[in-house]
Amino acid sequence: MAADVHSKGVTWDTPNGNLAPVEHLPSSRSESPTPGLVEGTEPGGGEWVEEEVEEKEVEEKEVVEKTEEQQRGRAEGEGSVNEPKREVQAVVREKEEDVTSDAWRLHKKHVFVFSEAGKPIYTRYGSEEALSTTMGVMMALVSFVEADKNVILSIHADGFRVVFLRKSPLVLVCVSRSDQSDSELWRELHYVYYQILSLLTLPQLQRVFQQRQSFDLRRLLAGSERVTAGLLRLLETDAGLMLNATMSLPLCSTTRNNVCTSLQIASSKNLVFSILLAGNRLVALIRKKEQHLHHTDLHLLSNLAASSSSFRQGEGWTPVCLPKFNSSGFFHAHISYLEQDSDLCLILVSTDREDFFNLSDCKQRFLERLKKRNAYQALQEALHSPTYPVSQVGIPELWHFVYKSKSSGLYTSPELPVPYHTEEQQDRLMELYQHLHSRLHHPTRPLRSIYRSTNTENLLAWSTSGFELYLCFSPLATKALAMSAVTKLLKWIRKEEDRLFILNSLTY
Amino acid sequence: MTAMRVDAKVVMLGKESVGKTSLVERYVHHRFLVGPYQNTIGAAFVAKSINVADKVITLGIWDTAGSERYEAMSRIYYRGARAAIVCYDLTDSSSFQRARFWVKELQTFEEHCKIYLCGTKNDLVEGDRGARQVDYHDVQDFVEEIGAQHFETSSKTGNNVDALFMKVAEDFSNSALELLPEEKGVNLGQKKNSYFYTCCHH
Repeated sequence: MAADVHSKGVTWDTPNGNLAPVEHLPSSRSESPTPGLVEGTEPGGGEWVEEEVEEKEVEEKEVVEKTEEQQRGRAEGEGSVNEPKREVQAVVREKEEDVTSDAWRLHKKHVFVFSEAGKPIYTRYGSEEALSTTMGVMMALVSFVEADKNVILSIHADGFRVVFLRKSPLVLVCVSRSDQSDSELWRELHYVYYQILSLLTLPQLQRVFQQRQSFDLRRLLAGSERVTAGLLRLLETDAGLMLNATMSLPLCSTTRNNVCTSLQIASSKNLVFSILLAGNRLVALIRKKEQHLHHTDLHLLSNLAASSSSFRQGEGWTPVCLPKFNSSGFFHAHISYLEQDSDLCLILVSTDREDFFNLSDCKQRFLERLKKRNAYQALQEALHSPTYPVSQVGIPELWHFVYKSKSSGLYTSPELPVPYHTEEQQDRLMELYQHLHSRLHHPTRPLRSIYRSTNTENLLAWSTSGFELYLCFSPLATKALAMSAVTKLLKWIRKEEDRLFILNSLTY
Repeated sequence: MTAMRVDAKVVMLGKESVGKTSLVERYVHHRFLVGPYQNTIGAAFVAKSINVADKVITLGIWDTAGSERYEAMSRIYYRGARAAIVCYDLTDSSSFQRARFWVKELQTFEEHCKIYLCGTKNDLVEGDRGARQVDYHDVQDFVEEIGAQHFETSSKTGNNVDALFMKVAEDFSNSALELLPEEKGVNLGQKKNSYFYTCCHH
């Protein structure tokens, strides 16, 4: 089995980084995309297969060049026709898609999961049955390289990247036409892997394959397609999954305090985490002393809650594994919306599977206290404007930004302004940010800052020990302007800090 | 307000996508949601009060997920249940096989739980008789054999849904009445005391 907690040894923070409690939200970046299985040092292999083993640095250089070429090619070719429209909700339709069609081939990012016996488990588009030969070929590639005591990491060819992640007993593969780097794609595959663990736990996953190698895991994963599809979409739209952070809901400090203390008081013996979410924005988080919720686990929980309308209908009660906390056991989560048509979702995580009615009672007490203190009304009002326009900052050329506070593991971002009103444009902006992110966090040559100019916007990314910042300016902005804008923005964020972030981390 | 007082625990069981959630949605919220199929994750709990012969009975309904993944967990949902509504899709014969599995499971582990077999999506077979894959009489025979009740419902039209849950509540109410004579048995003991008393007095 590939060593899961294999540290890369490259830290992203500057060496003189502060001692802020970064550990309590350990960056999953430190988790190496390099499987621990690398034994041989032979990079070799066929000419048509580029294997990146050990020779990473050399390879990476090529990768960067390639990416830039593609980037340029892209900027020119933008607006051409071959951009398939993605439809989020049509999971069902995606499943019925013809895998021999051009439309299927043109999808930007495919994700495949199969067992070591080559048995299909998941595909993002089309049906697993129709793709069993494709996945069989992929497994053959993996085994072929492994036979030489080597590990296949990725294949780059013809504008495509095929990235492999080996997590015995599973193999995960991503085929991407996007500009994302290998490590970004590995991060996404890790998410898919953790998603599977969150439904099954690692021991159960291993057990079923130990008992029968040819086990059809789809039997156990049935009904989770929506959850995985939602997660893959979230990876493309929510900067938090890239930044290892969660977006917080802007809220005036008195309301936030009211909400937090009400949630804190509504505790129960076996309660480990109480999480209040508005969509995928964090409103409040209370935890048991000395227990920390990893942002990956939080994203998985919030995605799970968003994936089924059944939580709106009644109070949900489901076993859930938080793989970053502990991949070997289930927690039990009480998931419900505060009111039927409200966007406020409360997730109470307990260690006891008989705890449903206790937690249901906790929710009632929380809600009553909120209402008694008029905090519920204030919270509802805050939901009407869950974000803020970038104009509040007062920098005309600044179009958008993403600011992550490393100590809290939270990030803030204004609403997307006019050029990014379509899904396509939003995805494009996210890709630009992702590109900058992968440059900042390059496995061998990380950068502290990067400025990038394109035909459509100017971008600046900056990482320090305390924060990570991505800014998007109009194409008319200059580098000097961008630098002065950073100072101004940081000042503004400092001033608005208690509204934008959750400053104190409360325990029961 | 304290935790809801629930009189009778009712559990919904059956293969995935037979329409357990839709059935509960129709009964509790009087609506039928169209749109892409959404799996239940784990289980959903909802309480609903119902009037039975001047009495208010609160049904605590556990709508479980049909996925095999949760099978190991299913016992916590049906343990102590007074009624189980085992659903199958009238247009899918394999779902009836699954219903038989649940019946067996209940008979083994929860013998005091009353079983209601419920054929769902009745509207589909009403418009097109060929769509029916589970024969009414076959189910009726099975139901008589195991001493259960049999309903065919449509959550889309609401057909027979209220009747099903009404029957569940009535049966619960009646079985609660049956418990009363037992209490009288305790009273008998008191009589016995008084008998002894009179005896001694004698």
